[in-house]
Amino acid sequence: MLPASRPSLRSRSTLNRSAGSSRRGPRRALSGLAIATVLTVFVSPAARGTIRGRVDLGRVPVAAERRPNVADLGMPEARGAPERRPSVVYLEIAPRPAFEEREEAHARMDQRRESFVPHVLAIAAGTTVDFPNNDHTYHNVFSLSKARPFDLGRYGAGRSKAVRFDRPGIVRVFCEIHSHMSAFVLVFGHRFFSVTDPEGRYAIDNVPPGTYTVKVWNEALAAEPRQVSLLEDGGDVELNFSLGQK
Amino acid sequence: MFVEGFLRIILCAALAIALTTASAIAQVLPSQPITMLGGRVVVGGEVSASIASSADRGYFNYTDYEHNALRLVRLGVTGAVRLGSRASVLTEIRTENLDTIRPYALYLRIRPWLDRPIDIQAGLIPPIFGAFMRRSYGPDRPLIGYPLAYQYLTSLRPDATPATVRDLLRNRGAGWHTYYSVGSKAGDQGVPLVTGFRWDTGVEVRIGSRPVEVSAALTTGTLSNPRVRDDNSGKQASAHLTIQPTTGLILGLSTARGAFLARRVTSSLPVSLRDAGYNQYAFGADMEYSRDHWLVRAEGIWSFWRIPLPLDRAHADPLRASAVSIEGRYKVGPPLYIAGRFDRLGFSTISDGIRRLSWEIPVTRLELGGGYYLQRNIIGKLVYQWNWRHTQYEPFAGYAAAQLVYWF
Repeated sequence: MLPASRPSLRSRSTLNRSAGSSRRGPRRALSGLAIATVLTVFVSPAARGTIRGRVDLGRVPVAAERRPNVADLGMPEARGAPERRPSVVYLEIAPRPAFEEREEAHARMDQRRESFVPHVLAIAAGTTVDFPNNDHTYHNVFSLSKARPFDLGRYGAGRSKAVRFDRPGIVRVFCEIHSHMSAFVLVFGHRFFSVTDPEGRYAIDNVPPGTYTVKVWNEALAAEPRQVSLLEDGGDVELNFSLGQK
Repeated sequence: MFVEGFLRIILCAALAIALTTASAIAQVLPSQPITMLGGRVVVGGEVSASIASSADRGYFNYTDYEHNALRLVRLGVTGAVRLGSRASVLTEIRTENLDTIRPYALYLRIRPWLDRPIDIQAGLIPPIFGAFMRRSYGPDRPLIGYPLAYQYLTSLRPDATPATVRDLLRNRGAGWHTYYSVGSKAGDQGVPLVTGFRWDTGVEVRIGSRPVEVSAALTTGTLSNPRVRDDNSGKQASAHLTIQPTTGLILGLSTARGAFLARRVTSSLPVSLRDAGYNQYAFGADMEYSRDHWLVRAEGIWSFWRIPLPLDRAHADPLRASAVSIEGRYKVGPPLYIAGRFDRLGFSTISDGIRRLSWEIPVTRLELGGGYYLQRNIIGKLVYQWNWRHTQYEPFAGYAAAQLVYWF
């Protein structure tokens, strides 16, 4: 096994057929993540840097409401409001060591008060996501996304089912019983991505020196990709985005 | 005419706004309801188109709106307007086969105490009897056809009644067009046990939340004949008990009792027969169990109608109908499911002095099929429906049917 600091790195390019044309909607915005080509780049064993910054939303997307179900016999129970502000910042073409060991990573998307928590989950390909039901009612998590279609069936509180995501892409997750429940799982072919915190801040760590195209994904808003260069001696680079209408 | 024109404009405008607004945002068909005024107004919609392999010559799928349930284009817009935290107005405007546009639901929902699970709804309200009617058409109904109890037309009519047993038996199996000698003399369709196409007008209260809920309603019409305007000075009282002993299992019990015959019929009866209480009363039991990729539903309805037979007064027993329906669905994979439903409609017997027959002809229905999710809110369904009626006229009919449903 070669050390991770081996000078020869393989770079994985997340060719993005549609992310650039983000007006085609969130489903397609990252469909190019599924298309990966392998490029070989030579990077000196220099210090790695961090790309950090802030994503400014022009407006916070409105949370999806329940469909007006006129057949209900009373007011529906209160539900958790999904956090729709998170964006995901990622490198379009990301370096990856040639013989990188794949970790058996786990992530978690909870079901609470008829809401998926978190609303946006970013993972590397090969990650298994647990979908525990911590609600008082049945849920049926499913996705029809081409990147990873699945249907976990109905299961009650206290139970959990898992799905492994091997192909990069956007996986839109729904509950078959509660049509207002939805979430996004963004699966990347590399590890150079970051989900913004409630203030919109992000940080992509351990980025080797080089010039990269940095993109931002948001379910309702968009921004133009930006170029950034990290020098040989590492350090931080600040890169801010301002999102607007798709 | 004015109201219908107004409703048509509202319907078209709402759909246009919904489609264009969402399309502008997503460049795709809307996938979620449209929210306006900071969430105070929410608009959803549903479009379904069904087509059957052949015409319904046996009138097995004929509805009380004179449509074939397997050949139906339905366009509906639902809206909710929140009036503060305690009240909201809900409505559904619907058209079938693009002919008549009518409000299917229009009511005020109030929760008087926010910390207590008590809700009051008044107006054109959802029925509390049974379970089928409270399932949304597209996503919650895996098949295309309706259960017999909610759609199949019996020979009984609220605006006309047979004078004799023979008069009643002569109309067996002709629920789509019956003639009687008392009341309206014109031929018209009969009524199902519980109509699946109209809602009643009145007030209902729901008390409780999981695992036990109790609902009670006072409405103008009956299960067979929901009404906006009263036609007999009688009210229907109905109640429903829902129990969820464990997650995934829902049990329900229903009962209803209301004045069935219209005043124009009872007023034409001899004085001694006018106040005999010509009611429809019914009992129902429903069950739903789901787990993993399975969903099973069952429902039983027993309905009784007390009608006058002015020239056969010896027959005082109410006419009884019983319906049993069992439905199952299994999700094969993320986009695909298979489903089936078995239905049986039976009737009590009555004698005309020569022979003893069921007052209506029993019907059996089996519907098998499946659905495919083209996307989360677009389903294509394909079914085959077998119908058996124990009669010489059209004793069997089989139909293949397809349906496309889209909702947001």
